[in-house]
Amino acid sequence: MLADDDVLLREGLASLLEGSGFDVVGQAGDGVELLALVRSTRPDVAIVDIRMPPGHATEGLDAARVIRQELPDTAIVVLSAHVEVDEAMDLLAGGERLGYLLKTRVTDVAEFIRTVERIVAGAAVVDPALVRELVSARRRRDPLDVLSPREREVLGLMAEGASNSGIAGRIFVSEGTVEKHVRSILGKLDLPESETDHRRVLAVLKYLEAR
Amino acid sequence: MRQRVNALVHRVGASLMLRSAGQARLAWVVGITGPLLVAAALAPFRPSIGLAGFLFGTLLFVVAAAVMGGLRPALVGAAIAIPPGVYYFAPPYDNLAIEREGDLFVFIGFIVVAAVLGILVDQLVGLARQQAALRRVATLVAHAATADELFAAVTEEVARQLPVGFARMGRYESDDSITFVAAWGSPEDGFPVGSNLMLDGDSVRGQVFRTGRPARIDNYDQISGPLGQTARELGMRSSVGVPIIVDDRVWGVMAVSSTTMPKYPADTEERLAAFMDLLSAAIANAESRAELAASRSRIVAAADETRRRIERDLHDGTQQRLVSLAIELRMAESRVPSELPEARAMFFRAAKDLTDAVADLQEISRGIHPAILSKGGLTPAIKTLARRSAVAVELDVEVERRLPQQVEVAAYYVVSEALTNVAKYAHASLVNIDVHASESAIELTIRDDGIGGADPTRGSGLVGLKDRVEALGGTITVAGGSGQGTSVVARIPIDRKSGIDAERRQAIVR
Repeated sequence: MLADDDVLLREGLASLLEGSGFDVVGQAGDGVELLALVRSTRPDVAIVDIRMPPGHATEGLDAARVIRQELPDTAIVVLSAHVEVDEAMDLLAGGERLGYLLKTRVTDVAEFIRTVERIVAGAAVVDPALVRELVSARRRRDPLDVLSPREREVLGLMAEGASNSGIAGRIFVSEGTVEKHVRSILGKLDLPESETDHRRVLAVLKYLEAR
Repeated sequence: MRQRVNALVHRVGASLMLRSAGQARLAWVVGITGPLLVAAALAPFRPSIGLAGFLFGTLLFVVAAAVMGGLRPALVGAAIAIPPGVYYFAPPYDNLAIEREGDLFVFIGFIVVAAVLGILVDQLVGLARQQAALRRVATLVAHAATADELFAAVTEEVARQLPVGFARMGRYESDDSITFVAAWGSPEDGFPVGSNLMLDGDSVRGQVFRTGRPARIDNYDQISGPLGQTARELGMRSSVGVPIIVDDRVWGVMAVSSTTMPKYPADTEERLAAFMDLLSAAIANAESRAELAASRSRIVAAADETRRRIERDLHDGTQQRLVSLAIELRMAESRVPSELPEARAMFFRAAKDLTDAVADLQEISRGIHPAILSKGGLTPAIKTLARRSAVAVELDVEVERRLPQQVEVAAYYVVSEALTNVAKYAHASLVNIDVHASESAIELTIRDDGIGGADPTRGSGLVGLKDRVEALGGTITVAGGSGQGTSVVARIPIDRKSGIDAERRQAIVR
């Protein structure tokens, strides 16, 4: 399911997804149309532009909230032209199988498809640009100073929503090593252990935002 | 002649009402007891002092009574001096006969001198009081008191200058009605401040409105229209109104009324007009100030609106199309047969460059207008600024609610510009940002620990900021000597009524 008021982009995205093995069951131009289509077609995933008619504000986010309430099994990817922490946390509070990505992320087709697949499989994903901004924000007594450079890197990947095995793949170490890093980070920053990935993402984001 | 006497009587009444009741009573005491005391004190020396000496002595008290109470106590005092004068000081002594014919003329001359002195002193005192009142009004004007303060003060001063029970200042509206803007004297429910009446009929205020000239009414029996009707119900007997002319149009009217006097003194219009000139100047001044402030505010608002539209066009139009284009390039890339790796690489590069261009465009559009400000308000917008700051930021933001758009935009740019300057010039290691919103204003402090010595006139950024903040009736100061760091402190009023001073003035002055 695709929702974006820009037909060109929507069609482009649709053919990309079709080409990568997805079955695009419907396309919507605004939130109302999207909800109607989601209710009737029950897709596995809805990819939604945050800014849609009529207000061009956060209609996509509102629609995502409704979908999450009515059909909690539907994975949702929200696309935004510029990512904002509050929006990301707002969305991620809805649970797992959620993603919040920059629109331009779409142009890296292979990576985008992989991310959508991860989200459908249960991950919670936040755009790396947003995480980078959060991690690199400068603080006087930065609590992140207690982390080693490797740990910072792991923290960033945690915030993006990568699982331990995902992190292991990205930084070329064993999953056991990642687990050790994660435990160390959580301990140093006094963050709670979370059973689910999306809770971990939310906790890390909250921490980074409030630090 | 009769008219003149009437006028004189009213003038006496007028001068009485000018002064406080206590002072008027004292005038009578001085006028009555003064001559008797002089008689008692000087009686033993009457051969050497003579009648002229005695009368001269009483004149001092006559003048004193005139200063305090006007002509009437002065004349009564002079009259009281005559019996003891005849009895003790005019030969033959100790009886009420007059021996010398000349003494009779001395008495007549004395009364005339007392009357003339009384009138002159009375006028002089009146003039002095008027000058003092005018000076008070002028001071108010000069200190740029708010319009309603000024109106109330002028109305009161006018009332104190005249035999008035009742003074009201009104502003003419475009629908031929009048709105009362200041009131003095009872009954308080007669034409209260804020009330609005139509100008139909031949009331004083209606006449002034139509002719642009002073008008008076000495008999309310035949006066028609809602204003005349109300005046009659309030028991008005006489009224005088003078126009307030601002920029060649009849802006409003100052009118005084009395429930007791059958007729106002002839110079009332003139005395009122003296105040109206000052008032006109003050109103014209406030109007042009209000217009200037309003136009400043409109310019800033229009510029903001344009920026918002550009940002939106960029976002919803250009940016979307570029992203679509990048996707198309990717699709094209995927369809290039693998035997043509160079073509593939070209598509790949083109798509990547395009994506970078979109990122640049995003950065630019954020500079034009931060979308997060319209979406999320000031707190997330300032947090974002702080995160992107090149210098470490300690943030303390307490703005729970959404503020008027212009205020949010101005506050955002204060922080944004201050952070830019810190990064460029301050060589600071830390910036403290405090943002607090109260009911009536938002206060921002951005303080760094850098080298200081900021020059507020440097660069167009701060000047533009000052214009923006001041257009909203706010203030911004940049302080910090060399080596003390720099602090930018801004205060922007929120409440539209008291906050946007310009609009408030406009509302009153209009």
